[in-house]
Amino acid sequence: MYTAWIVKHKPKSAAEIVGNPSALKTFRDWLQSWDKGIPKKRAAFLYGSPGVGKTVSVEVLARDLHMELVEKNASDYRTEDAINRFAGLASQYSSLFGGKRIVLLDELDGLMGNADKGGVKAITNIVKTARCPVVLIANNAFDPRFRTLRSYCLLIDFKKPISSSIAKRLQHICEREGIQADENALQFLAQRSGGDVRSSVNDLQALAQGKKHLTYDDVSWLAYRDRQESIFSVLKMIVYGRTAYGAKQAVGMADVDLDMLFEWIYENVPAHLSDPHDLAQAMDALAMADVYRGRIRASQDWSFMRYVIDFMTAGVALARQNSKVSGWIPFKFPSRIMMLSRSKAERAVRKAIGLKIRRKCHISAVRATKEVLPYLRIIFKNDVHMAAGIAKWLDLDEEMVEYIVGTKAKAGTITAFLH
Amino acid sequence: MSFEMWAEKYRPKRLEDMVDQKTIVERLKSFVRSKNVPHCIFAGPPGTGKTTAALCLARDLYGEGYREHLMELNASDERGINVVRETVKTFARSRSIGEIPFRILILDEADNMTSDAQQALRRTMERYTETCRFIMCANYSGKIIEPIQSRCAPFRFTFLPREEHDKHIKHIAELENIQLLPDGVDAIFEVCGGDLRRGINTLQGAASMNKPIDAKLVYSVTGKANPHDVQKMLTTAINGDFLGARKQLRDMLQKYGVAGIDIIRQIHREIFKTEIPEPLKIKLAGITGEVDFRLVEGSDEEVQLSALLAKLVEAGYEIKK
Repeated sequence: MYTAWIVKHKPKSAAEIVGNPSALKTFRDWLQSWDKGIPKKRAAFLYGSPGVGKTVSVEVLARDLHMELVEKNASDYRTEDAINRFAGLASQYSSLFGGKRIVLLDELDGLMGNADKGGVKAITNIVKTARCPVVLIANNAFDPRFRTLRSYCLLIDFKKPISSSIAKRLQHICEREGIQADENALQFLAQRSGGDVRSSVNDLQALAQGKKHLTYDDVSWLAYRDRQESIFSVLKMIVYGRTAYGAKQAVGMADVDLDMLFEWIYENVPAHLSDPHDLAQAMDALAMADVYRGRIRASQDWSFMRYVIDFMTAGVALARQNSKVSGWIPFKFPSRIMMLSRSKAERAVRKAIGLKIRRKCHISAVRATKEVLPYLRIIFKNDVHMAAGIAKWLDLDEEMVEYIVGTKAKAGTITAFLH
Repeated sequence: MSFEMWAEKYRPKRLEDMVDQKTIVERLKSFVRSKNVPHCIFAGPPGTGKTTAALCLARDLYGEGYREHLMELNASDERGINVVRETVKTFARSRSIGEIPFRILILDEADNMTSDAQQALRRTMERYTETCRFIMCANYSGKIIEPIQSRCAPFRFTFLPREEHDKHIKHIAELENIQLLPDGVDAIFEVCGGDLRRGINTLQGAASMNKPIDAKLVYSVTGKANPHDVQKMLTTAINGDFLGARKQLRDMLQKYGVAGIDIIRQIHREIFKTEIPEPLKIKLAGITGEVDFRLVEGSDEEVQLSALLAKLVEAGYEIKK
């Protein structure tokens, strides 16, 4: 069964947190100051961009200092009443239980508009009268709504960790997972995350899970990626969609063009449809989408695009009849595209040979590579005489001969024969 | 043993050397006699002598210096409209020096031209008829637009009859001094289906092994020429491993540059040899035919073939149940 690595490898101690040593120290000092009585600021307001370790810092320090953490995030409480009920309880009577506790109000950015009317005011009231440490977390502490609240809080800025620290953390996770990872691969992931440790760990899992060895090639394609979340959620809407309408909607949300989206779906459908009937159905739909792409090419009538979209989205979504949703399967980058870019140099040589054959054999270069080249391979492997003769006749250079026979040594014997 | 591709070495040079396609050759000879050639379409399957006939016609018409009066263009390589606008036009409008007032342009694999290019060609053909005659070679004349078809004399090339095919192959074997056994000839015909170029290439490939050529050797050569093991891929699919089968397919297409059409036709043959319930065979043959047609139409080879593989996975699953 799948466990997210961000949960599995969550820092267990302050030492494991990536970056922000001074913020952590300020925070720890403030928490410890409660031992000597209620400090001037009864709340700490941790702020910073997503994935820099705000929440996890609270969790880790609570554990280090043996404090009980009472945690709520904004999605749980919304109105003034709800906040008072929960936070009031937690903060006012803490001393009655003897144990020390921290009240954490996470994701304050989520408090919005009318639904949360009075929410910020209620929090401000709690902070003013708190008898235990209250910790507030938001991405942006300088939102005007927090102006009053802010003045009662100790502001602690969490900065984006530098990429080398993130890479070190990723290395650590790889070691624990028994994955041998190339340094430049991790460095690349770390840089790409833009200081978001959480997303870098998610990326790492998506790319490295189940592998023994992670190379730069495995990760470099991420450079193509616009935003992972967007393409992944689009794929989810299509591959796990329940209605034709919903699946079709996904197209509008994709950052990639339709051909690329097609490749993403084509790559990922097999792993996500375990039932052979469903798979056959879905592949059929993709094949139909492709037929319409061909018709567009042939007729230049782009209005057929609507059918391409129907088949590649709704057609795939509705193929799911018996497949169970089991565990978490990562979406993969289209390997066909990767393979195409890797074999580029090879294809260039192949094409050059095709052109040479064309000159002599009255046949297109395209067909030459398909129809004549395979026979050249056989001849070149078996008969050095004949090979040398043909190489001369076709005017092939050494690189081409090497491509045809496959090894440098064999190519050497053939060209030696030529001279 | 000689040092070139035999398919070229033994390509007929003159119309009178062409022993096949007799009615066509007769008509072409009459063109030579009258020193006039209309625009032509040579349609027919690969390896049946279309290009050869065009080259022979030119040589008979112009003599040994025929290359100066001839241009060969391959639509698969240069299929865009720009080729028509530039290369074709420049060639077509320049006057030929010598006895014959026109030059010949052979447009090979013309069915691969875009329809834009064909439209552009139509006007060029009309305008420069005086100075240039077109011979369009195509597998499917239906893919050439109607207005061009109506301007051309049509010639339908057919597969060589079995005995003609065998005669050619045996003749080459004799001249090259190689030992070709009767079942080797049978095997070449079976595998290449009367496509003479392919047949000769197969023969030469087999000859490079330096052994008497029997059926087994021929099959091993064609097996290697198509380094894909279609049968293995089908077994992988029927055993339920779709991703494994798709990987094999991708290798064939991308690494070895095997044509999707060749794969589908081999799949078609294999289906009837595979151990699956009889009614399933005809069902799969139907699906194969549909995929074949889509490939001819120009659909994505991997996508279409992998849809077929998914069907095989499904069939394999049903059988086990």
